[in-house]
Amino acid sequence: MTNRRQFLAGLLATGLAPSPTWADAGSPSYLSAAALPEGGYVLCGIGAQGDVLFQIPLPDRGHAAAAHPSRPEAVAFARRPGTFAVVIDCIGGKPKAVMTAPEGRHFYGHGAFSKDGNWLYTTENDYEAGAGCIGVWDVRAGYVRIDEFASGGIGPHEIKRMPGQDVLVVANGGIDTHPDSGRTKLNIATMAPNLAYVSEGGLLEIAQFPHDMHKNSIRHIDIAPDGRVGFGMQWQGDGEPAALVGLHQRGADIQLLTAPAERQRVMQGYVGSVAFDHSATKVGVTSPRGGVVQIFDAAAGAFEQEFVISDAGGIAAHRDGFIVTTGHGELGQVTNDQLSLGVRRPLAWDNHVVPIKV
Amino acid sequence: MKRFVISFCISIGLAVPVAAQPLATLTNDAVNNHVIPAYDQLALTSGALAAAAVEDCDPASDALRAAYHSAFDAWVAVSHLRFGPSEVDDRAFALAFWPDSRGVTPRVLMGLIADQDPIGQSAADYAEMSVAARGYYALEFMMFDEAISNSGDTGYRCQLVQTITADIAATTAAINADWNAYAALLLTPTADGVYRTDEEAAQELFKALSTGLEFLSDTRLGRPLGSFDRPRPKRAEVWRSGRSARHVQVALSALHDLAGRLAGEDEQLSDRLDRAFGVAQDRLLELDDPIFAGVSDPTQRFAIEILQQNVNAIRTIVRDELGPKLGVAAGFNALDGD
Repeated sequence: MTNRRQFLAGLLATGLAPSPTWADAGSPSYLSAAALPEGGYVLCGIGAQGDVLFQIPLPDRGHAAAAHPSRPEAVAFARRPGTFAVVIDCIGGKPKAVMTAPEGRHFYGHGAFSKDGNWLYTTENDYEAGAGCIGVWDVRAGYVRIDEFASGGIGPHEIKRMPGQDVLVVANGGIDTHPDSGRTKLNIATMAPNLAYVSEGGLLEIAQFPHDMHKNSIRHIDIAPDGRVGFGMQWQGDGEPAALVGLHQRGADIQLLTAPAERQRVMQGYVGSVAFDHSATKVGVTSPRGGVVQIFDAAAGAFEQEFVISDAGGIAAHRDGFIVTTGHGELGQVTNDQLSLGVRRPLAWDNHVVPIKV
Repeated sequence: MKRFVISFCISIGLAVPVAAQPLATLTNDAVNNHVIPAYDQLALTSGALAAAAVEDCDPASDALRAAYHSAFDAWVAVSHLRFGPSEVDDRAFALAFWPDSRGVTPRVLMGLIADQDPIGQSAADYAEMSVAARGYYALEFMMFDEAISNSGDTGYRCQLVQTITADIAATTAAINADWNAYAALLLTPTADGVYRTDEEAAQELFKALSTGLEFLSDTRLGRPLGSFDRPRPKRAEVWRSGRSARHVQVALSALHDLAGRLAGEDEQLSDRLDRAFGVAQDRLLELDDPIFAGVSDPTQRFAIEILQQNVNAIRTIVRDELGPKLGVAAGFNALDGD
């Protein structure tokens, strides 16, 4: 007997279908790229119970993904300095289109949709110029590249959209690289990371550090429903940074979330992913190098607690806590101050887990 | 993919720990017999370089060239030791601005020469100059680049060579002086020190080893290799002075020395490291291609790619066998985040 998904997939092919929704894709709550033990890379849809709903092959190592705001469609991005992104139909579990970065650009592994889902924005490196740019892709035309604009800095990494508006927030990590030297960092002495707010190709606001923190690469962000941006950093200097986590609200100064010295050192200068919980009262960050997840109280701006989770990569809001993915194949849950790691699946979850907010 | 399979093995406990030497012993050996002598040598040869430039600033001078080569060798031998004194005031960046993917160094030097900018007449002032115009790589342009070594006023260029070498000498002397105090931080970790435990100190040295190997593979070899369709021989490191392969040789030997000291008395691991470094050094000798010009020739290119694979084989041993021994997390995300 044909189930609703197969039926819809069939209708889609004939062009008769009502618009399918995320529910038709089995309602995944999260997306995450993974590496398979026998070789090969995939993008997985993960249900609210931590079950893997679908697994779609990728041509090479993925990084993060962006979920379409209404249609059951996701874009999986190649890991830096990759040049492909795969548009995936999450009902049929099949690649729908492949996006290729234009000549002279590569992706950084992150992207975001416009509010209406008609445009996709991708963080890219204009590497001959050494400038960050945001690629604009026409979704309705089949993910066709139509434009680009400046990211407001060098090395744009994660990009997200402010809730309810078409303002994008870009974490410009500040680090200049050129594919001719692999991932070698070319400008550490002069790097200047920032958070840039952009809309319709124009720069609205830039939040930046004082010079003594200029080697703190702002890499990953999450946005609370009230527009506060939580960010995680990767320290490129010697010794210990002032902080690895921060908050920013438009029009205000950056607020650093500091941890006691001995707790911060465990992080080894490195935040892998950052997320608010659903109530946006807590900020969670992972450090795969330190093998820990740390939780901060967003209102008090204070360190709250730490969980030892080996090779923790992705983190996202989950129930009244967080879901954490690891390179050992675990989908862990941090809820009510309790950690449950769950089973080890035979795959390695890669760097980020992306919530689908429908 | 191999690394992933290996990290699975570690996670389920197939790695058998070897009877461990105290980490402090390993760090002690690496600091006293690897780091300190190498930075001493850097300061010594760089001082001699500045003196040679005062004596004779002609880029064709044999004495200056000999001093240039030995100081540059000494730099390559410490170029992986990027922590502590080398990072104060961005000193290491001021000694070595490379890779220069956008050609900033020649552009800035040409500008100085064309304007006869007075900043080039004083080493003290020159310390404020853009790092792209300072250090060994800028000096190479001054001495060996066809256009720059012949442009503008000979007297000004002479002075600029003296200024750049004096600036290098001052920077390397400052790093060396600071190492006296810094060594103690690594050797005797304290609760409120830069290193709190012997493990943290050993891991700093491990990180230097693994990033040094990565730079060797991705940049020193990777830049000229480019892609098969588009090899980039002119992106080889300091090809103008014929030193590209020499840098690989000196770096391999310095990294081998450090790896051996961190492996300590683990003979099985030391043997594996010796063999892997030996294979890479032999391959480099066989290549007999000082500036990796062969990247454009299919047969010769293949041999250079094999050399890069040999270096990557060393990286695998270091990551999967030496790292866990020193307590470095070996997970998929820990090793390769973004």
